[in-house]
Amino acid sequence: MSDVLRRIEIPLIITALVALIQVIPYYFDFPALQGAANTASDWVLLIVNAAVFVGVISLGQVHMRRVQRRSTHWEYSIVLLVLMVVMAILGFPLEGMGLGLQNEQYQFLFNNVYNPLGSTMYSILAFFITSAAYRAFRARNIDAALILIAGTIVVMSNAPIFTSSAPFLIEWKNWIFDVPNATTMRAVTMGAALGSIALAVRTLMGIERGYLRGGGEE
Amino acid sequence: MRSRMSLLEKMQNIDRRYIYLLGWIFVLFPLLNPLGLPVPIGRESRQWKEYIDNIPSDSVIVVSLDYGVSGMPELYPMTVATMHHLWSNSQAKNWQIVVCAFWNQGPLVFDTLLSQINPASAYGVVYGEDWIELGWIPGSETGMNSFAVDMWGQTPTDYLEQRPLSQYPMMENIRTAQDVDLIISFETGTPGLPEWLRQWNTPYGVPIIVGCIGVSVPGMAPYLDSGQLSALMPGLTSSGEYEILINRPGLAVAGLDAVSMSHLLVVLLVVIGNIAFFASRGKGGS
Repeated sequence: MSDVLRRIEIPLIITALVALIQVIPYYFDFPALQGAANTASDWVLLIVNAAVFVGVISLGQVHMRRVQRRSTHWEYSIVLLVLMVVMAILGFPLEGMGLGLQNEQYQFLFNNVYNPLGSTMYSILAFFITSAAYRAFRARNIDAALILIAGTIVVMSNAPIFTSSAPFLIEWKNWIFDVPNATTMRAVTMGAALGSIALAVRTLMGIERGYLRGGGEE
Repeated sequence: MRSRMSLLEKMQNIDRRYIYLLGWIFVLFPLLNPLGLPVPIGRESRQWKEYIDNIPSDSVIVVSLDYGVSGMPELYPMTVATMHHLWSNSQAKNWQIVVCAFWNQGPLVFDTLLSQINPASAYGVVYGEDWIELGWIPGSETGMNSFAVDMWGQTPTDYLEQRPLSQYPMMENIRTAQDVDLIISFETGTPGLPEWLRQWNTPYGVPIIVGCIGVSVPGMAPYLDSGQLSALMPGLTSSGEYEILINRPGLAVAGLDAVSMSHLLVVLLVVIGNIAFFASRGKGGS
């Protein structure tokens, strides 16, 4: 019996069935299948919510281990664990006990700790991009020169310090956006879509088994 | 000769720490001494304003905050400006605005917005009649699909008052994607426009307009071109232009001088690097 349950065909059939339940009602009007698709979507949402708890447990385990082993920068793991517990407790949906997302302490930590830290992480990009542009935008050959010219026009067109005295930069940027960029991005998008369709068909037919443990080759 | 080559090499390889320091100075300077440069209006911000101005009366508008705090520097100003624009017209045009989020920090971002704007006192709009906030809808694209099929089932209660949707008059006729006339999504990634298109635009024909961060803008071009995306608000500069267009200068306008100076630094560094590159090549350098 256990051998039967471990057969590779079982997950392949489940995958194909679940995928077809989602795909068919998207293209055809089958009310019965639509109901099944909606139920399957609700199951996915339940699994996603359960996965949040798995994530918390996993994160806790990883950082507890780092603290126990005094790994590099283990001190930061303590900060992470403490704040994770504090935020989880404060944000717990028990409004009667003064907890929940609207409570003062939670809002304080969100607005004065998490919010500035998140914004800082994003803003650091500005420094990296400046340094990267300085090194990458160099006219070493024709291709690089084209990228340099297009990139510089787009950078300048986004800054009022340039466009206020040279408004034609906005028109130039619009042309770059509408013609070379749109064309290239359309090709990339369609290529990726065709690749996704091929992958989906292979998965449906049981040829693509990468999502199974070990690729299902046993 | 050797010292000249050395200078050219240095100009091509400025230590990144000096670049970071220059970046910090260039951004800090206009924050301390605002330049107040004139801001030419680009087509995207103009189209965005015109699109919102032309939303038909009695429309149901879903506003989705699909970003977290890391996206706030760029997306929050346009979110604030758009909500001002929507609320200021919602009673005259009888719009009904449903705020939601497919990113879990979206509702917290909107909390920040509500701590700065009181829509009831500023615009006289009534919560539950003119607008409602449904909070975070988990499940990414699957959540979008389920929300389209059964909005009440996905969010049985609202976010702000935690009451059943049946208690809100405006929700009586808003139950599926077929009842929605427009999606306004502010987004930094996935789920974002492609997921909206797959789950709302293609099956139900709901138009969508998107505000996104600068790095996402090139990827939006094909969807604008095809008409699947009806308007685009690309990044902070356009947000500033939009604030000017709606006569409500705010966070984005305040940040435009910093944007100008940081872009000026990039251009200066690129020019310096290329001058040094060509000069050293002319002198037999690499």
